[in-house]
Amino acid sequence: MAGDVAIVAGLPTSRRLPTLEQVRGPGAPRRFGLALAETVVGRGTQANVTIDSALLSRRHVVFRRNGPEVTLSDLESANGVYVNGVKAHSAVLHEGDTIQIGDVVFVLHEAPA
Amino acid sequence: MSEPAFVRFWGTRGSIPTPGHKTRRFGGNTSCVEIRVGDLELVCDGGTGLRELGLDLLQRGRQKIEAHFFFSHMHWDHIQGFPFFVPAYGPDSELFVYETSAGDDRVQKLLHGQMRSEYFPVEFGDLGARITARHFEQDVVSLGSIRVRCFEQRHPGRSFAYSFELGGKKIVYATDSELDLLLENREQSLADRDVLRRLPDALVGFVEGADLLIADGQYTDDEYPKKVGWGHARANTVADLAHQAGVKQCAVFHHDPMHSDELVDQKIQGATARLERLGAKTLLFGAREGLELKF
Repeated sequence: MAGDVAIVAGLPTSRRLPTLEQVRGPGAPRRFGLALAETVVGRGTQANVTIDSALLSRRHVVFRRNGPEVTLSDLESANGVYVNGVKAHSAVLHEGDTIQIGDVVFVLHEAPA
Repeated sequence: MSEPAFVRFWGTRGSIPTPGHKTRRFGGNTSCVEIRVGDLELVCDGGTGLRELGLDLLQRGRQKIEAHFFFSHMHWDHIQGFPFFVPAYGPDSELFVYETSAGDDRVQKLLHGQMRSEYFPVEFGDLGARITARHFEQDVVSLGSIRVRCFEQRHPGRSFAYSFELGGKKIVYATDSELDLLLENREQSLADRDVLRRLPDALVGFVEGADLLIADGQYTDDEYPKKVGWGHARANTVADLAHQAGVKQCAVFHHDPMHSDELVDQKIQGATARLERLGAKTLLFGAREGLELKF
């Protein structure tokens, strides 16, 4: 599919993974699988997913996979993390949830059953 | 600068647990909300969500677990998780349960009662934790830098709301309250759903300026007429309370067990649209399991 990017290198993209669809912000549209147990998103090179936006902290948010469950935690970012419009410190995510960090918006898609 | 307060929803459902795919997003566990400030662990209600909180506390690696329990009331869906709260079995745990007035022992009695052998295999007295009752004095109790106030609500068998104030922040937990029986313009508001539902000054004052109001908004306007007297509010009435009290964020809580995630969404959308019509600045959302906020 056009716009798909296997951002997390070294892992097969064909696995049934939960995915983040970036629908807004630098680099959108694109989609990547949460292949790692922990995926850090931010503007810094230390992040697993780097997005070039001044509104993001270097390490802004971490997505964690625990079996089929996906959670996120704000990494003390300057501008916060919004889940479906609510500023969240952490959250358990579900299909269709929107996650906004700065000018970047993701939609979470759970792993196919 | 004061320490931040973290508020986490462990159970948001009303009345009875509702597991299953229809309730995955908002959750099926009954009432339990954690408020954490530094080392202070405060727990609002012990519904089935308390079990998960207990397991999580054990994973946090503390040597000793100390927790302070504030029960809105003692109906099943607010106490059923207590016998499954694993830290209560640990001899190193220390639990405090708060009674809302001096000399009251209802909370302790009913926690004991639900663990009688007819109901549960382990008796309350066999729990390993040290469990101590504390009492509010004139509706106030202090816990470190946190000032907790209680406020009696309208609910069969009585219930209480709690306000937690620290460092200029205010969090109000107010579940199981039939706001619609308190309305000063009740008849008018039932006849005309669009009219602002006026709540008593004492209640508005208790909630006033809250950074977060967690409030029972179990029913839609259409459902409520068949459930009058059951002790729960219309979500739209909660919206009106939040507006009148200048609440910043309002988490509609105690979702009806008959409501799927889609129905809860509709209820929240309706209440949000109502706030917009009122010109309110309150952000209203549906409380859901696993969501943690920071203040």
